[in-house]
Amino acid sequence: MRYNRQIILSEVGEKGQQKLGQAKVLIIGAGGLGAAILPYLAAAGIGEIGIIDDDAIEITNLQRQVIYRNDAIGKSKALEAKKMALSLNPSIQINAITDTLNAKNAIALFEYYDIMVDATDNLQTKYLINDACVVTNKAFVYGSIYKFQGQVSVFNYQNGPTYRCLFPDEKSNSKNCVDAGVMGISVGIIGMFQANEVLKMVLGIGNVLSGELLIYNMLTNDQQKFELVKSNSTLFSRLDFEKKYHVVENTVLEITANEALEGINNPEVLFLDVRNEDEFPKISLPNAIQIPLSDLEDNLSELDSNKKLLVYCQSGIRSKRAVEILINNSFSKVQSIAGGALKLEGVIATNAISI
Amino acid sequence: MLSVKYFGAVAEKTKVQGEDIPFSNLSLQELVDELEQKYDLGALSYSVAVNQKIVQDANSYMLISNDVVALLPPFAGG
Repeated sequence: MRYNRQIILSEVGEKGQQKLGQAKVLIIGAGGLGAAILPYLAAAGIGEIGIIDDDAIEITNLQRQVIYRNDAIGKSKALEAKKMALSLNPSIQINAITDTLNAKNAIALFEYYDIMVDATDNLQTKYLINDACVVTNKAFVYGSIYKFQGQVSVFNYQNGPTYRCLFPDEKSNSKNCVDAGVMGISVGIIGMFQANEVLKMVLGIGNVLSGELLIYNMLTNDQQKFELVKSNSTLFSRLDFEKKYHVVENTVLEITANEALEGINNPEVLFLDVRNEDEFPKISLPNAIQIPLSDLEDNLSELDSNKKLLVYCQSGIRSKRAVEILINNSFSKVQSIAGGALKLEGVIATNAISI
Repeated sequence: MLSVKYFGAVAEKTKVQGEDIPFSNLSLQELVDELEQKYDLGALSYSVAVNQKIVQDANSYMLISNDVVALLPPFAGG
């Protein structure tokens, strides 16, 4: 009953409604854009919606963030947004996340949701969203305002162009609504364009705004699209991400043989020998597994990602490459043993470590 | 004739939404440099499109008469 008016559209139908119900969408920011996007996605029956924002509602927000009531001033935006969306449609799930999006939580969140919607008000977070979407291979629905103009695009959709293909210069500074001023209508219109792209992607109808930047002028109703192509310089691996955002310090990726051997008999630790089977010296450790580097990517399922992986080869070169492969495949606790098997053997002999 | 369109913070600086410029043999980068000087756009960052297509390498892009150039800065409000 609830969705009857959209189900009778041949482009939606029962099947389309099912797709909407199975979709998981993350809205990043519960400000002006988020306040426009959230109620329409919730009402349309997107099955699970995450809304992340650590801000509290202020009186100056209410002119454009129209889902909040005057008596909610001072309360958490994410929690109030959840309350509003559930009172609109109690049959869906809303996850309120009272935090900022940062490099530490972005990857895990993006892996969980299907589509990320940018409702933020700063360029730094837009680059973070873009990079985390590239790493997790998810679509990024971009929307942004400058006074009476708005931009909309869908980045990284089916391997399409990314935000960095359009704006490679990360150091640029552009005014947000606090500095530049904005009408509530403007964020409403642009947020609606974004919600529309989400629904089209989920339903598989129409043309997704991928490889195109839409600019809408609220004062003239002038609407223009600009084509953009993917540039090769924007490829980004998981390891690039971790290094860029300092999720892991580069030095932490290596461990000394002495420190590594403290992990013997620790059930939380797994030693990984990436040498070929015919290489000596053999290091026999109780909690060890051997997968030659050339076979590693095809045999990742043999490794328990919950364990701390200490990787070694003969001298510590191939193991660094193995660490890169593992981090790019979502293993987070990985270190390469400096000096490799030769060093391990020496430490075991001199310290008379009993194995 | 060349036509130039300005958006966002760039239009704020130029104080016009667009203008026509007499055509001369220019690369896109040369035109951009001229506009940057004329309107003091140095502090702004923007992408450049010709005939509704974003151009990655403005240095090697030679303009032809009737091209429509757009200066597109990123927006940040939300």
